[in-house]
Amino acid sequence: MASMTPRRKLALALRIVLGCVWLYAAYAKFRESWLVFAMSIDAYRMLPEWAVLALARSLPWIELAIGILLVAGLALRYVSIAGAAILSVFFCVMALAHSRGLGIDCGCFGPGDTLSGWTLLRDGTLLAVSILLVYLSWRPAEQVQEA
Amino acid sequence: MKTITIALAFLLTVSAACLAAGSTKALGSPTAPITIDLYSDFQCPHCKELHDEILPSLIAGYVDTGKVYLVRRYFLLPRPYSRVSATYVCAAEKIGKYDQVSDVLWRTQQVWVQSGKVDETVSSVLSPADMQKVRALVKDPSITAEIDKDSALGASQGVNQTPTMMILYKGQRTPISGVISYSLLKMYLDKVLSR
Repeated sequence: MASMTPRRKLALALRIVLGCVWLYAAYAKFRESWLVFAMSIDAYRMLPEWAVLALARSLPWIELAIGILLVAGLALRYVSIAGAAILSVFFCVMALAHSRGLGIDCGCFGPGDTLSGWTLLRDGTLLAVSILLVYLSWRPAEQVQEA
Repeated sequence: MKTITIALAFLLTVSAACLAAGSTKALGSPTAPITIDLYSDFQCPHCKELHDEILPSLIAGYVDTGKVYLVRRYFLLPRPYSRVSATYVCAAEKIGKYDQVSDVLWRTQQVWVQSGKVDETVSSVLSPADMQKVRALVKDPSITAEIDKDSALGASQGVNQTPTMMILYKGQRTPISGVISYSLLKMYLDKVLSR
């Protein structure tokens, strides 16, 4: 740890923080019935019911996997891209719903998490941090070492 | 014979009392296993959607069958006619005309939201005598207090948008916001009831 460059320290901190956020998001969904999450997705009114059900069943497991892999630092390059890509989709969908004036839950961290300017700011920040992690994890090794 | 006569008299009295009570914001049996507090704003277009598309099926499938006790609560959003529309509905409830007045306000929402003619809209479904009572009640501070009480209750439960259904089952509250498909709500309620 003492020999780590500032950039590697930053990458470590980012993946731990983001990993914990993903794990918490998964936990918040697992502690409720999956149908509650399905209704949160359905409230966005963007997907047919079969897709809502499939997403509600699978997304918490995907979030759990991303969280574990980020915290463990396994397959970081690919996991960081997957995380940033999923967050990009979330952010776009939330921004669209917010612009349409839907009074709904964000669905990010369980029921009661209202979609608002604050949630957009929060998820936008998480997206920015995820993109930064992608950048750091894909930098050539020698550049990381030089830094 | 005497017992039957007494029983019939009792039933008639109860029926008369029910008719006099008319329609209120609460529907179904208070002893139903699930209670749903539905927080709405009469000026909210998504609340209208929920009222038009989901509520009739919910009432037929769960309220009328004794599985859900539905309480339609007022939750004011910062919109020009939110309070006045809720005030008229709350006043109408006091004379047993909740459904008539709320229905016409949902049905014609796009019209009175543009014109601001809430009083005229309400008067279209009430008799002149009832309308006179409602107009008097609208000025009653207790009506405003009741609406504020509902809004405060919602806020205390974390409600900050409409429509929100607060589903209460065995002490556990689950908020569901927005307009959702009835089939998903049905799946959820069936799952809760099967626990």
